[in-house]
Amino acid sequence: MELDDLKPGWQNAGGTSKTEAEILKMTKITHHPSVKKIRTKLIIETIMLAFFLTVYYDWFDGDKKPVYANVLLVCSLLAYILNDVIGYISLLQPIRGSNLKTSVEKYLAGIKRLSVLSIFFSFVYGVCFIVFFTSVINFNREKKFILLGIMVLLVQATLWSYRIWRRWIKALKQQVSDMEFDEG
Amino acid sequence: MEKEFLKSVHDYQKIIYKICKMYRDSKEDQEDLFQEIVYQLWKSYPSFKGESKISSWIYRIALNTAMAVYRKTKPAVEYLPDLPEQASWDDGNISQNEERLFGALRLLNDPEKALVSLYLEDFSYQEIAAIMGITESNAGVRLNRIKNKLKIILK
Repeated sequence: MELDDLKPGWQNAGGTSKTEAEILKMTKITHHPSVKKIRTKLIIETIMLAFFLTVYYDWFDGDKKPVYANVLLVCSLLAYILNDVIGYISLLQPIRGSNLKTSVEKYLAGIKRLSVLSIFFSFVYGVCFIVFFTSVINFNREKKFILLGIMVLLVQATLWSYRIWRRWIKALKQQVSDMEFDEG
Repeated sequence: MEKEFLKSVHDYQKIIYKICKMYRDSKEDQEDLFQEIVYQLWKSYPSFKGESKISSWIYRIALNTAMAVYRKTKPAVEYLPDLPEQASWDDGNISQNEERLFGALRLLNDPEKALVSLYLEDFSYQEIAAIMGITESNAGVRLNRIKNKLKIILK
């Protein structure tokens, strides 16, 4: 079998024809399946965090907590939301070069950067959240254990997030390595 | 611009269909990728200056999208037993041949799929090299290796 023998099979392959109206629908971001999922998650998360930001001071006695705890919580929360939005915009742009090799390499670099920032800001937000709620607590032995448990959960959540990012980065790295064609 | 774009994608949608079928296993994932590719084509359309053929531009964006976009990890799929046996490429059984062809192509790695699809579409080595970002001689060497791989898969 020669590679040329496969050409007719490839060139004649084709599925159900989509109408121009269907294609037009696909150009609108609101109909985009994977983006829809990411956007829904982003919107829900942002609304919940923004709501928390507006009520936390009254509901969780922000005035009785030290200033540094309030500042840390608000700053880390805003940084988390900002990183989420930047990440969402970044994920919408896989085309980053005039050829496949450059584009995949640049996309990999972008995803690596995004993964580090996302994991970092999530962890920092978690720590600041704990700092806020524990800043006025007098720790006894039991409370110290509870705090330790919460810290373990936070580290586990961070590791879980790291594994998801690593899986994607690994796949992209493999593509870049497969692109490094050697002529030997 | 929108009208022109829609006509182009409509006329060349077979390219997108083939790339989706080559890079994704399930119908649902193929449909999602199809939409993703159309969306990326629409976003890139303003920067398409017509310096290259529209088909090679569609190929570049579609292949790039198929390779970069996040995929859910699934258990490894073994295609070989599912390849219909004893089907020759000119016996008129298009559907069976198509399944056999795509089953074989899915066993290649992502850049190999891109390279072989461009070759099968009849792009010149120069065009393939430009789309892939490699040299012409590299493309030739790699295609030879793919040919040998496919020979073993399809024998």
